[in-house]
Amino acid sequence: MPSALHNLLDIVGVFAQLSVLGFGGGKGIIPQMHTDAVTTYHWVTSEQFTQFYTIGKLVPGPTTIFAALIGYAAVPQRPLLGAAVATAAMFLPSSAMMMGFDSLLARFAASPWRATISRGLAPAIVGLVWASVLSIGRGAPATPIAYVTTAAVVVLMLRTKISAPLLILLSGGVGVVALR
Amino acid sequence: MPAKDAPSLVRVAVTFASISATSFGGGQKASIRQSVMAAGWMDADAFLDGLEVAQVMPGPNLLNLAIYCGQRVRGIPGAIAAFFGASVPPFAIVLIAGALYFKYASNPFVHGALRGCAAGALGLTVANAIELTWDERRSWIAIALVAATALAVWLLKLPLLLVLAVFGGAGIAAERLRAQRTARA
Repeated sequence: MPSALHNLLDIVGVFAQLSVLGFGGGKGIIPQMHTDAVTTYHWVTSEQFTQFYTIGKLVPGPTTIFAALIGYAAVPQRPLLGAAVATAAMFLPSSAMMMGFDSLLARFAASPWRATISRGLAPAIVGLVWASVLSIGRGAPATPIAYVTTAAVVVLMLRTKISAPLLILLSGGVGVVALR
Repeated sequence: MPAKDAPSLVRVAVTFASISATSFGGGQKASIRQSVMAAGWMDADAFLDGLEVAQVMPGPNLLNLAIYCGQRVRGIPGAIAAFFGASVPPFAIVLIAGALYFKYASNPFVHGALRGCAAGALGLTVANAIELTWDERRSWIAIALVAATALAVWLLKLPLLLVLAVFGGAGIAAERLRAQRTARA
């Protein structure tokens, strides 16, 4: 087992990079996070990754807070430290950029480049969200009942006003009955 | 120097802590807007400027927006107070959820529930992808870029930095050309 310090340094490297590349609210970073945490470093299994992501969607605040759970699993010697370091690496770099940006804000907010950049980046972010479907799907249960549950949530999310966490909890109810 | 009627740092932190601790799914922007306007921290134009920048910059929108608002009322100390306010409650809550996860995940009922929740979260992600793609329908170039990005990440496993440089760069170039053409017409 690699030393705790070694793991912590890897965690900082992985999540700090994801932090500064987290355009579009961080929606686009899931595929890279999956590659890093599951394939490259073996911190978590695909199933754990998907379940942590699910917990991130279920709790209040940003979904990417589930970085804490990956950090927790990645440093078995010091799980709380791993969680804290992963969260700090995930949120501090982007937050520092946001703070440093304030002096340029007045000019940038009015600049035509603001709309150009956000609209121009959007298609790539959306493509990354489709790629996250595959990353998340790898750790989701592969049974007909699970597929039907997923499809039902897609329809309910697009067609009704039921809140996202409630839909996850309802799916959990299906799981208790049929996915044990 | 904060203005005379500027809120205390504790007040800034508590404001964003209470929003982040209770913001499920969407709706955070509306809660922040309501809080900062009701407290008289800024006017609607200043808030909207901050919202746009918070959405362009990397990082969670809720966190970026909290930092912007904190910085507006109390400078860098206010931004730091807002950062801790907005991030500590979700961190504490996710840790509690994680502790329960590691303790009970092998229980068959909990395991079943987690698998069901995962199927649901996958559905949310698909729905999100569909909605976001629908928002891009204004141009065929944008839709082509969405498809090309998804395929490149699926099949070639391109690293995120490269994806953003190539496909994000292409998107920005296309958007720039479109804006210039519209300006000329």
